[in-house]
Formats: sequence, C-alpha cells, structure tokens
Amino acid sequence: MRLIPRPLLAVAVCAIALSLVFGRLVRAEQGRLTIYGNYYRERSTRVLQPGVRVTVHAPDERLTFGAGYLLDAITSASIAAGAMQVTGGDFAFTEFRHEAIGTVASKLGPWQLGGHFRYSTETDYIARDLGLSFGRDFLQRTINLALSYTYAFNRVFALRGPADVNPWCGGLVPTTECLDDNAGNKNLLQVHYLAATYTHALHKKLLAQAAVETSFARGPMDNPYREATIPNGFPEAHPRERDRVSLFANLRAVFPRARLTLDPRYRFYVDDWGIRAHAIDLRLHVRITRHLRARLRYRFYTQTQARFYRDDMIYTGAQDEERSGDPKMDDFMSHTPGIQLTWQLDGIARFRGLAFLEGAYLQATYNHIIFDYDDTRSIYCTDGGYLPKRVLERRSDLCGARLGTVAFSIPF
Amino acid sequence: MSRSPRTLHRPARRAAALAVVVALPAGCVTVRPAERALLSLPEMTPAADAEEETFYGHVEAAREGAVGGHGAAGGGCGCG
Repeated sequence: MRLIPRPLLAVAVCAIALSLVFGRLVRAEQGRLTIYGNYYRERSTRVLQPGVRVTVHAPDERLTFGAGYLLDAITSASIAAGAMQVTGGDFAFTEFRHEAIGTVASKLGPWQLGGHFRYSTETDYIARDLGLSFGRDFLQRTINLALSYTYAFNRVFALRGPADVNPWCGGLVPTTECLDDNAGNKNLLQVHYLAATYTHALHKKLLAQAAVETSFARGPMDNPYREATIPNGFPEAHPRERDRVSLFANLRAVFPRARLTLDPRYRFYVDDWGIRAHAIDLRLHVRITRHLRARLRYRFYTQTQARFYRDDMIYTGAQDEERSGDPKMDDFMSHTPGIQLTWQLDGIARFRGLAFLEGAYLQATYNHIIFDYDDTRSIYCTDGGYLPKRVLERRSDLCGARLGTVAFSIPF
Repeated sequence: MSRSPRTLHRPARRAAALAVVVALPAGCVTVRPAERALLSLPEMTPAADAEEETFYGHVEAAREGAVGGHGAAGGGCGCG
C-alpha cells in the first residue's frame, strides 16, 4: 500500500505551486493556503478526501476571494452504494467525486457580505449550490447577527451497468416515466436552505452562539441501489418532499489560568418524515504549551425512526407506497470520542530560513464513532467495524467507524 | 399519509421562542474592544472550525437522519 495516496500527492503538489504563484502576486500575509486530507473508514467503505483551500485578500478584508478543490475517493463493497451495478457482484470498487468551490466575502464596517458557488460531480450525481450571506455587528461588535440562504440544484442518476447511467427520479416515480424524454425535471433535487445565526460575547471570557436552520427539499431523496437490502425486492421509495428544522446552541468559556476552554454544543432537529434528533457535543480545549493545543471531544447523538421505516423490512407494495432500506431512517444512537492536536508553528518560525512559517499550523484529528442500533446491526458495517471482539460478542447491534483529518495551513 | 409541517415544527418553534427569551436579558452586556484578547483565541473563534465542520456535516448527512449545526450548507453527494 502506498504511504501517501496518489490523489493526496497530486493535490499537495498543486497546492504548493498555487502558494508560490499567489505568494509572488500579492504582498506578504494577504492570504492563506490550507492543504488537508480527510479519512473515513468502515468495514465496507473507505473514504479518502484530499483537498486544498486558498483565500486571498485583495487588498485587505474589504474584499476576499477564496477557491477550493476536494477529491472524494470512495472505495466501497456495499451493494447499497452501487457495487452490484459497477462490478457485477458484491465486490469493492472505487468512485471519485470532484468538488470545486469559489467564494467571495467582504467586510465593510459593521457589515459582512458573502457568496459562494459549489460544483460537485461523480458518476451518478451532480450537485450545485449557490449561496449568499450577510451579517452585521452591533454594540461595538459584541453581537453579530448573520443570515444566509443557499439554493442547491442537484441532478440524480442511477448506474444500471458499468457504462449505463440513467436519470433517477425516486422510487415513487415509475422507471418508464423517468426515462421518458418528457420527464423534465423529475430527477432534479432542489433544496432551499435558510439559516440565522446570533453570536454574542456575553463576557470577556464567554461567547454564546445560537442558530436556526431550515431547509426545504423537493426531488428524489432515495437510493436507487438499495432495493437489494429490502428483502422482497421493492426499490427504496422515500417521499419527494422534506422540510427540516434544526436549532443549535454553543457556549465557549475560556479559563486562562487553567489554560482550558470549554466548548459545549447542542442541536435539536425535527423534520416532517418523523425524525427527531438530539446531538450533544462536548469539547475541551487544553493549551499544553504556548504553541501546542489539544482538544478532547465526546459527541452523543440519538434519533427517532422515520414514519415509513420498518425494522422487519417487510413492505407490501401498494400498501406501503413509501419504503426505506436506509439505516439512517432507523432509530439509533451513536457515541463519538475524539482527540485533536494543533501545533502552531510560530515557535520554529524564528529559526533562520523558517520565517515563512509564521502563522502556520499543523493539525491532526481522530474520532471513533460507535453506532448503537436498537434491533440489528447496520448494513453500513455488517461485521461490527472497529470494535473489540469481546464487546461485539455481547452486543450484536453495535458497529464502529473511524474518522480522521490531517491539515496544514500557512499564510502568505 | 401526510402530516402538517405546522404541527410537526411546534417543538422547534417553542425552543426558538425560549432561546430568544433567554438571550434577551444578555442583550445589554457590552464587551469593549480592549477586553477581547481571550475572545480572539482560535479555540474561542467559531469561524476557525469552518473546514472541519464542513467535513463533519458531510459525514453526518451520509450516516444520520438529521443535519445542521455546522454553520454552513454542505455540498451534494450521492453517497447516502
């Protein structure tokens, strides 16, 4: 196995070239370059996600341009991910998703304005979203109120063979109707997303944030390959409409003498598919030295079951018009302990020849997710994933996944 | 069977109203610019997490029924 995956190496070379070009075009410290690699691993799926992000002030924060590129290399043996259609059986295959984003932001006095366009493409999915945001500071920048709107318009397809890609309109639309030349926008998934965020410095050591997010989705939201997981052979058929609301709150309190920062978060979620969810994310930041920080994290997540999901997977066709083989429609809990280390490189920037590292940092993050299903283990990690054998012998409904990130960021 | 979003979102509306009521008394507190040294630390800056939160948002959208709380709308993906 290669020590550094080829896509990650390619992105790193491009990022270095970009930083050299930008570094010559603009004056010192007018932008930032970040190279990162994300990693997600379950027994049946491995995701490698190298990416690069550049921001450039032109000439200062009154106008900032940003660009990013991300490669998603998804290796999967899961039938629900299309393995059968691509490989002709339940064998591993690798699929690539390319994502590019362009951003523009402006800070004008107390006002902040922003916009972005993101484009993402893979064999059976094209996603595009366009977003606008604006914010304003109040009370000498003690309070910030921000509003954002994003419109996503995605095209959904289904692989019926290695080189046979057809539009997918969802399980509720007959295949013949979807393949019809007059099918129009039936394979178009449109999402309107609205968010309002309120940030308040309550004290010189205490920051609070609250947000309300809503999204309204119309279009196919089921998986064309998931019929294999519904025993009686019906294709998955989710409703073509979904309205979602989430409420988020975060407090950050710093204790300088103890070199600690507490960072608890809570999110409540509800939608019209019958899912209600609570997520509690407790984070503790520790300053080990002036330039080295550690962050410990524990996240607890729980959700109820979608109204059309059946634990026994027995659907009776016309009577059960809406069907799901998706484990994330089931009721379950998850526990995520994690650790992050951030090394700010200012300490070594004073050495001769390393001054360019002033303001740079290296960051490594690891999270281990333990899914706890109430009745049967998820198809996401059929054999239990990364958990000790003696735990799995006692609890047949548990499975694990690994999540990691490495990032390097440098100003120029 | 279709249920009215109005009925379903009642708990969300109640929680939002409660959040506003709790936040209002704090509205009169002002932290002067000279007192913001600790608030400018990276661990006290929500924007410093943006890249990481985008990735978590993407993973959670693929593995959980709920979304949100990450400060930005995630990109599309057919990996659900």
